[in-house]
Amino acid sequence: MPTIASRSDRFIGGKAAGEDAGASMSTGAIPRGRAPWLAAAVLVLVLVVALALAWTSRSLYEHNEDRLLDSRVRELGLVLAGAVPAIQTPLASAAALADATNGDPEKFRAFMAPYVGPGRQFISVSLWPLGTGRLAPTVVAGAPPVLASRPSEARAFFAKAQRTRVLSVAGILGPEARILGYELNASGGGSGFSVYAESGLPRDRRSRRAGTAAFSDLNYAIYLGRSRRPQELLATNIPHFPIHGRQATNVVPFGNSALSLVVTPNRSLSGTVFDRLPWIIVGVGVLLAFAAAAMTDRLARRRHQAERLADSLNRIAAENRELYTEQRSIAQSLQHALLPEALPGIPGMDVSARYVPAASGIEVGGDWYDVVVADDRRVMLVIGDVSGHGLEAAVTMASVRHAALAYAAQDCRPASVLSNLAAFVNRSAHDYFATVLCVLIDIDSYLLTVASAGHPPPLVIDDDQSWFVDLAPGPAIGAPHHLPYRETTISAPSRATLVAFTDGLIERRGETLGVGLTRLRDTAATQRRSLEDLMEKLVRELAFDGRDDTAILGVRWQS
Amino acid sequence: MAELDDDLGGEVVIATEVDAAGDPIVVVSGEIDMSNASSLSAAVATITATPPSRLTFDFTGLQFIDSAGLAVLIGAAAKTTVSVRNPSAIVRCVIEATGLSTVLHMASES
Repeated sequence: MPTIASRSDRFIGGKAAGEDAGASMSTGAIPRGRAPWLAAAVLVLVLVVALALAWTSRSLYEHNEDRLLDSRVRELGLVLAGAVPAIQTPLASAAALADATNGDPEKFRAFMAPYVGPGRQFISVSLWPLGTGRLAPTVVAGAPPVLASRPSEARAFFAKAQRTRVLSVAGILGPEARILGYELNASGGGSGFSVYAESGLPRDRRSRRAGTAAFSDLNYAIYLGRSRRPQELLATNIPHFPIHGRQATNVVPFGNSALSLVVTPNRSLSGTVFDRLPWIIVGVGVLLAFAAAAMTDRLARRRHQAERLADSLNRIAAENRELYTEQRSIAQSLQHALLPEALPGIPGMDVSARYVPAASGIEVGGDWYDVVVADDRRVMLVIGDVSGHGLEAAVTMASVRHAALAYAAQDCRPASVLSNLAAFVNRSAHDYFATVLCVLIDIDSYLLTVASAGHPPPLVIDDDQSWFVDLAPGPAIGAPHHLPYRETTISAPSRATLVAFTDGLIERRGETLGVGLTRLRDTAATQRRSLEDLMEKLVRELAFDGRDDTAILGVRWQS
Repeated sequence: MAELDDDLGGEVVIATEVDAAGDPIVVVSGEIDMSNASSLSAAVATITATPPSRLTFDFTGLQFIDSAGLAVLIGAAAKTTVSVRNPSAIVRCVIEATGLSTVLHMASES
C-alpha cells in the first residue's frame, strides 16, 4: 500500500508548489519597501562626497592658479627688467661719447641713428650741455623734444636729474600725454652732457603688440611709478578697467623711478582640464549618485524579494510540518479508535494488550487485536496485521477486523474464522494481504485451539520456561488459494501465560524470523512477574525498533 | 509487517528476463520494502497486464522483503502461477512464516 504515501507526498508537494507560485507572482508587484529612503540616502551621500571633492578640487585649483600667477608675474617682471637696459645702454653710451667728443653733433647723430625713428626705441634723442646758463639741447636726433618747449619743467627736471648718475625719468609728457621722457648723464655732478630721450606711448595706452607666445595667457598693465594711478598707465592689453578677479603685481626698478606691473590671467594657467575638473567631478558625481541609488534600490528590492521568498518557504515548511503532524495525529487517532477501547473482563483470567505505533513517519500500520467472549467458558483471541501503512491500511484493517469479529460470532472455531475471512477478502480485487492468528481458549480445561493465516505462533510461558505453539500456518489472508486452515490444539499448564503478537516485536532487518522468535522467547522466559510487568518488559525491550508498529496481546490464568 | 523506510529504505535493482519457455523472469536484488515496493509493483503490473502462464521471481540477490513486497507477489499469484527462485534463508523464512509457500512455489537451483 505504498500508494497512500506517495499520494500524501504529492499533496504536500502540490501545496508547496502552489504556495511558491503564489509567492513568485506576488513578488512581481511588491511595494517599494525600504528601498526608496536607502536609495535616497545613497544618492545624497554620493552627491555630498562629489561636491566635497569638487570643492577641494576647486580650492586646489584656485591655490594653484594664485601660485602660478605669482610665478608668472615674477617672470614677466624679469623680462621687463631685461628691457630697461635696451633704453639705458644706448643713452649711457651716447652720454659717454658726448663727453669724449665734447658734444660733437655728427658723431652723436651717427651713434643714435639706429635707435631713433618710428618703430624704434626713441622718437627723439637730444644732447643737453649742463652747467651753462641756458638750458637747451645742442643736438637733436629725430623729432624736437617736447621738454624743450617747456623750459620751467625742463629746468626742474634737469635740476633733479643732475644729481643722479642713473636714468632719470621725466614722466609722461606732451599734449596727448603720449611721450615718455628720460635722461642720463655720464659724468654726473651737474657738468658735461646730458642725453635726453623721448619714447612714444601707444594711443589710449593700448598696446598694439600682442604679448609674446610665452605670456599669451596673461593680460598686463604697466604703470610708471609705484602708485598705479590711471594717468601713470604706460601700456596695457587689458580690455576693461578696473581689473576684476585674480591679479598679481610686481615692481621693476626703472632708473630713478619704477615700473609697476599688473597681470591678470586671460585663461586658466593650469590648463582647462583643471579649470573644469570641479564641474567634471560634480557631473560624474551626479551620474554616480544616481547609478548608486538605482543599484541600491535594485539590491534592496532583490533582498526584499529574497526575504519574502524565504518567508514563503518557511511558512510552507511550517505548514508542511503542521500537516505532517496533523496527518500523523489523524492516522494514530484512527488506529487507536479502531482498536478496542477496553478489553472484556474474563472470569479467571488476566488480559492485557499493548499497541506501540512506529516511532516515525506519518504512517500507521494495520495491526489489530480483539478479545471475543464466545460463551461463558470460551474466549477467542484474534490478532492480525494488514500489509501496508497509513489510512488505507487502517481502513482495510477495520474492514478485516470487523469481518473477523462477525465470523467469530457466527462460528468460533479458529479455522472456520480464517477460511471465512479468506473467502471474504478474495471475493473482491485487493492489493493487500493480512496475517491473522485466532486462538480459542477453553478457560476451564486449559485447552488452546490455534489457527494461523501466515501469522507468527503465540508464545506460551510457564514460569521460567517458554515455547511457541508448534503449528503449521496456512497462507496469509488475501493470498489466492483454496486450502483449508488447520487447527492445532494444545493443553496449557495451569497459571500459563499466552502472548500473541505481530511481527514488529520480532522482525529485524538482516535477521531470519527465527532469531527474533528466540529473542522473544528468551526475554519472556525470565522469572515470574505480573502480566502487566511482562507486557511492559516486552514493549520496553523488544518493541524499540520503531520502524514497524507492534501489537501484543497477553492472557494469563489467574492462580 | 509495516516498514517505515523513508530514510532507511534499501536499494533495489529490478530486471526482467525471459526463460527458455518464453515465460518472464523478474530478477530482483537488494532489498524490497515499503519505500521501493512500488517499483516492483510497476514491473509486475506490466508483465501481468497479459498474464503469462508462469511468472518467476529470481531472488538470488535479494536480502530482504517486507509485507509490501510480499503483497506484490501475492497480487501476481492471483493472476498467474508464481514461483520464487533461490530465496535467501531470510526471505524463505518470511514466505514460510506467512504461509505463502503454498502460493509462491519456492525452488532453489545452483
